[in-house]
Amino acid sequence: MKNKMYPSYFSVGAVVLYSLFMVIPGIMGFYLSFTDWNRYSSEINFIGFENFTLIFSKLNYWHSISNSLIFTVVTIVSKTVIALMLALLLSRGLKRSSNFHRVIIYLPAIIPMIVVGIVFRSILHPATGVLNEFLRGVGLGFLTQKWLTNPDIALYSVIFVDTWKGVGFIMVILIAGIQVIPAEYYEAAQIDGANQWDEFWKITLPLLMPTLTVTTVLNLLYGLKVFDVVWVLTNGGPGYATETVYTVVFKEFSKGRYGVSTALSTLLFVVMSICGFWLINAMHSKELET
Amino acid sequence: MFRYRNSLIALIMVFSIVMATGCTPAVVTPVVEEPAAETPEVAATEAAPATEAPVFAPGTTITYIASQNWVLDSEMELAKKFEAETGVHVDFQIIPSDQYFNVLETKLEAGGEGIDIFGGQSGKTDIKLQLNVEKNAVPLTDEEWVKRMNPLSVEQISLDGVTYGLTIWDTIGGSWVIVYNKTIFAENGISVPKTYAEFAAACQTLQDAVIIPVYEPFADGWHHVLWFLEMGPVYEAATPGLADALNINKATFSGNPTMLTALTELKEMYDKGYFGDDALSNEFANTEAAMAEGKYAMTVNRFGLPSQIHTAFPDVDEDNFGYFLIPLADNQIWNVNPAAPSKFIYSGSKNIEAAKAYFEFLTRPENLQFMLDNEAQFTMLNFDGVKAELTADQQAFIDTYTEQGTVYQTAVNYVNPQWMDVGQVLTALLTGAVTPEDVLAEIDQRRTDMAVSAGDEAWK
Repeated sequence: MKNKMYPSYFSVGAVVLYSLFMVIPGIMGFYLSFTDWNRYSSEINFIGFENFTLIFSKLNYWHSISNSLIFTVVTIVSKTVIALMLALLLSRGLKRSSNFHRVIIYLPAIIPMIVVGIVFRSILHPATGVLNEFLRGVGLGFLTQKWLTNPDIALYSVIFVDTWKGVGFIMVILIAGIQVIPAEYYEAAQIDGANQWDEFWKITLPLLMPTLTVTTVLNLLYGLKVFDVVWVLTNGGPGYATETVYTVVFKEFSKGRYGVSTALSTLLFVVMSICGFWLINAMHSKELET
Repeated sequence: MFRYRNSLIALIMVFSIVMATGCTPAVVTPVVEEPAAETPEVAATEAAPATEAPVFAPGTTITYIASQNWVLDSEMELAKKFEAETGVHVDFQIIPSDQYFNVLETKLEAGGEGIDIFGGQSGKTDIKLQLNVEKNAVPLTDEEWVKRMNPLSVEQISLDGVTYGLTIWDTIGGSWVIVYNKTIFAENGISVPKTYAEFAAACQTLQDAVIIPVYEPFADGWHHVLWFLEMGPVYEAATPGLADALNINKATFSGNPTMLTALTELKEMYDKGYFGDDALSNEFANTEAAMAEGKYAMTVNRFGLPSQIHTAFPDVDEDNFGYFLIPLADNQIWNVNPAAPSKFIYSGSKNIEAAKAYFEFLTRPENLQFMLDNEAQFTMLNFDGVKAELTADQQAFIDTYTEQGTVYQTAVNYVNPQWMDVGQVLTALLTGAVTPEDVLAEIDQRRTDMAVSAGDEAWK
């Protein structure tokens, strides 16, 4: 380590702050998830796995875990597929005004979620919303839905809004990945008679895998932690139809059941750590193979 | 030299970050917050006769923190008169309602942070569990105005015979009842229903006439709970002593036939479309508009709604609306909720006497009358000696329903704090995710969780 640029004590400030605000609260949270910590009593008692037993025995908690998983899987697929198509279109297809189109597609990512919530609650309103009005206007009234209040489709409406908002961000990362693929590979492939489909499968996709892994990890962690888009659109409703782990954590906290909500957070932390570790490991192996 | 410079820069950076972090406020910024003035000790109050203004040190300020809808314009006017009379300035800190209890609890945990008066909902469970008044509030039992406050209000703000707060609210006219459009009823030959069967028949008649029977703002998550918990008097009438039995853990909501009937009827109303196709998207803020346009025939609201409709839509006559009770489970007992927004003097305040003087000032008959006369939402107040001016329809309602009972969110412990959860499970019931039995079991479960957490003897 002779060639290091800065002395190691430079990291002390960061380490202290990180420990103070991240590591220590994390460890405390882990401990508190095994206690009956709540608003109504000043005593905190160790109760073992009681909170976790409650989580796994109550249908609503299971339902929120299931919704978080559905949300994560569907958004990973939808955002990745749409973002990849747009990235290819804007880096290898459409040449004219591509920067303008990139900005337009990225724009939703910088709109505050509360604004997105207000706008889409209005758009998706069953009686007065623009979407249903449009469908009725073009003679497709039979397709109108109660987008956010029908328990069967509300979660997918939330997923649609989240995909609309997040796809631009993933697209930008993928465009960066596509742009570093050397043009010579494509020229050589064309000389060998490869068509565009072959180029995508044999050159673009394999060389884009590290970038795709990064976007997948990002989408995975975001999906499991999702809160804001659900909160602003449906508040977890109707009933429990769109409840996710973090909306339940928030509600349990506001009810003063700190132990149960901390246990839910701890559970999600473990799941995210395992998934993140597995994915990063997979990415690392892929890089070594390359 | 380079090494020392790096060390110095690093030290400055760490110090700056730590200072910045330490200086960040932990709580949400209130909407209205006047600069906190110095709070010197009260100079002299002991010997002051009740009729004379007490004397306080110049510059005395009492800080009153409350949720946004609890501080009335008329009270702010009275606070100015109080300042003119005593020299004591009342500093109102008004917090958005969805953040209020987080802010209040944080301030109380942090030693009060300059609070002299804090707002809170009365009701035995709330003042014990949420506000912990035995620790945080000054006992006010001996104050003169306590004797003039409605006994039901006093009961809801007292623990073990000690009164901890002041409630000035319309606890009678504030009852949640069905407000109906008299013209629509007359045009369709409908008279005021007295049973659920009559109510359902009226709804069907209206639906056949392409009028949506009931405007119910489900989207807010709290309003539709009224249909269930405001029916407390009828549950009590069917099983006398039920509230007391629930409070000592000798009864449960689960299996109660009257409650199951009410829930089943509510579900039936939803399934038959009596709330309209888009009911789950309806918002409380649109109630006046919905009722004014005549698309809906009824809604659950308070005595003040017709006046509010007339204010927002002057073309709509206030007299076009009448009142009757929510008739689920054939209820004909007036649902009264003596619990209401209240004020408490913080036990750690340095201005306790000034705060008591403010309460004494507010509760003078002429000041109570001023509040009643200047608040459109109030039709009467919970104090003796205040003259209410009722409309003919309000008087007709009072004459019709002579029997009164207390709503269950107030009569039964550990119910009001789970209001929004009940709202969520009721929506789940209406959308078919759970059964009426599940709703009652969930309420029992949450009551048990709270009671056990609070160390309630009855749950040991």
